[in-house]
Amino acid sequence: MLGDSVKAQEVFHTTLREAALRAAHGELPNEPFWLFRDARWRCLEATKTDLQAEPIEMEEQEIIASAGSQIERLEPRQLAIWISAAPEPQRTALALFYLDEFDYREIADLAELKLSELSRLLALGRRQFQAWLDATLPRRPTI
Amino acid sequence: MKTPELSRRQRALANCAPINEERIRDRFMRAAVFRARSSSEFENQQSFDRALATLVRSIPIPPETAEWFSGKDLISPSRWTWKKTARNPVVLAIGIALTVIAGVFVFHFVGRLNDFPGSGTARKLLGIAGSTRSVVLDPVNADAGTLSDLFFLKHALEHYDVPAEFVDFRTIGCRVFEDDQSQRIAQIWVVEKRMQFFLFPAERNVKTGAVLKFEGWRYVHQEGWVGAVTERNGVCFMVALRGREKDLAPYLAKSKQ
Repeated sequence: MLGDSVKAQEVFHTTLREAALRAAHGELPNEPFWLFRDARWRCLEATKTDLQAEPIEMEEQEIIASAGSQIERLEPRQLAIWISAAPEPQRTALALFYLDEFDYREIADLAELKLSELSRLLALGRRQFQAWLDATLPRRPTI
Repeated sequence: MKTPELSRRQRALANCAPINEERIRDRFMRAAVFRARSSSEFENQQSFDRALATLVRSIPIPPETAEWFSGKDLISPSRWTWKKTARNPVVLAIGIALTVIAGVFVFHFVGRLNDFPGSGTARKLLGIAGSTRSVVLDPVNADAGTLSDLFFLKHALEHYDVPAEFVDFRTIGCRVFEDDQSQRIAQIWVVEKRMQFFLFPAERNVKTGAVLKFEGWRYVHQEGWVGAVTERNGVCFMVALRGREKDLAPYLAKSKQ
């Protein structure tokens, strides 16, 4: 979500501290994902003051069969930065989806999206990431 | 590879298909993935997602943060609650069906509780009592107790006796008729509260032919009418009136005294 491990850690600790305080006062919400909702909100707050990427038309490319081998050549940090640079709510949708801990309903609920919106944002994200991959790590010629 | 035809919703679901198919928890998603699985597009999407998820898992987590998650699940499994279970449409449907079955069973059981030998005939006669007009009866102005002789002498009906507690009631009329099972029924209409008396053969054991006896008075109800039945010498006597058990109770209480 943030693309910056120091900021991420700060948000993480603030969220947990707040949760511990609420637990001490017996004020924990009766809702399973409140902690993730809270963490997301803090991430959005933390990035408000950051330099914002200019809204540009990103290229799109259909996913190719060899995308897996392109991704294998990536650094995890590159992916984290790419996702954190995506506009909201696409950034939340992609971050939660590739965390591979939530199902689509939970993601839609956390990101406050409808199924159709979530679907569109994920599909768009894949195509844009494929285009970025093609530009960053050109496909290896097949023999 | 042939691209299968997916509905708009299925296409939307396929776009959100989980990276690990074991995580599919609802049937709509399962159906969408099943249909989309045969397309190369979906296959590419899945391998793309798997590669990205692997990369995400390899993002280093600072040790002080990682220790929060050691051996713990990121999300606690959803707790099983009665409320959640009750809202499940399948559970709801089964619940309603079982309630209806139980209701029917209880209704029949309660109905059976009040059953006694001859209760079926008694109910039918209550129906007749409700539809009988006085003109169909032979006018007889006498004490009900004296009609036993009339039934014996004129119709050869033995033991068609009115119980002692009702012998002094003045009659308006009486008749003898056969019911749908060719049983001979005696019907008496009395002045008191326009009550009707019925005398009919008691139910018998089909194999042995022995009379199925029962003690005291038993109540039956039918279409706003109430009847109290007793059995003596193989003949049932029923006193019937339009109303409730409490309207008949004082007459039966007299008999106990």
